[in-house]
Amino acid sequence: MKRLAAVFLVLMATAAFAGSELGAGAKAPGFSLVNSVDGKKVTFKPGDGKTSVVIFTCNQCPYSKAFEQRIIDIGKAYGQKGVVFYAVNPNDDSRYAEETLSNMKARAKGRSYPFPYLKDGNSAVAGSYGARVTPHAYLVDGNGVIVYRGYVDDSAKPGEREHTGLTDALDSLLAKQAVKESETAAFGCTIKWKKGA
Amino acid sequence: MRTLLLICFLICALTASSATAAPLDEVRTPADVAGAFSPSSRLRVINLWATWCVPCVAEMPELKAVDQAFKPTEVELIGVSFDDVLPGDRGEIKTKVRKFLTKRSIEYRNLYYVGKMKWMNEYFRFGGELPLTIVLDSKGKEIARHQGAIDRKQFITQLRTLLRK
Repeated sequence: MKRLAAVFLVLMATAAFAGSELGAGAKAPGFSLVNSVDGKKVTFKPGDGKTSVVIFTCNQCPYSKAFEQRIIDIGKAYGQKGVVFYAVNPNDDSRYAEETLSNMKARAKGRSYPFPYLKDGNSAVAGSYGARVTPHAYLVDGNGVIVYRGYVDDSAKPGEREHTGLTDALDSLLAKQAVKESETAAFGCTIKWKKGA
Repeated sequence: MRTLLLICFLICALTASSATAAPLDEVRTPADVAGAFSPSSRLRVINLWATWCVPCVAEMPELKAVDQAFKPTEVELIGVSFDDVLPGDRGEIKTKVRKFLTKRSIEYRNLYYVGKMKWMNEYFRFGGELPLTIVLDSKGKEIARHQGAIDRKQFITQLRTLLRK
């Protein structure tokens, strides 16, 4: 019976880690990660009263590159409205050299990121959010609750956008209205998980 | 004599290019993808890929082997390029994909998807993670899927099992 219970617990833990993409209504996990730009630690404490956006992104993924300027523009526009942005790179840099801290720094500086570009070295933060792809966005309200998760927009092509998921959610939240579409299917490159993560 | 040689050269060049150019039909909807298979194929395999997707490119020899292991009436494999979902000149990207297939001597059929990502998500539950391989039965119903690169031996075994059902 004990063995059965142990197997069940292991299965539950595996399922929780591998498959549970946090949805709207879930508490956002906090984190403390190194900012590639200045080497300093940045801490996100959900429930600190601030509206926050956590975006998992990276250097090498063509989807992330296609959405990069859009994310920068959103970061600038909504940063002025008090929204705090965290760009988090969860890819394993031991297998993908483009994702090293120095390459992240070069990218963030070269493109003048208006937010920290954080290294999730063991992919643990991405795992705690259940993020699957880059880019993958989570909007967190001041109480630390996820109010939107999914894509930035429904197309990487600016001319083909029909639904601007993240900014629609931000506008609703800032206007103190309910977010109409709180979950969308993020699309992008598979996260290059750190082995053993 | 020079003119004759030039004509000869041009004919040879044209023949060579038409013989090796990989066909790449454009499709606009997921239904077009599902409807691209021959009615006689018992199992229909859709492989979603892109030239910029490293595991997709690594997977291609595996898929070639799978394609060669079955008769088209047993298993029909169609690749669907997703290179068009990113911004860029469609004509240039399509040419690049065609050259890519030609260079690798990919003989199984490939399609060039120019529709929206979200339509694929709604139709095939495709979240953008490549490669994705979906197996449909002869009625077009999904009976298996592989997220990530397939292994030729395991996949051939799986398809043989599905054919016996």
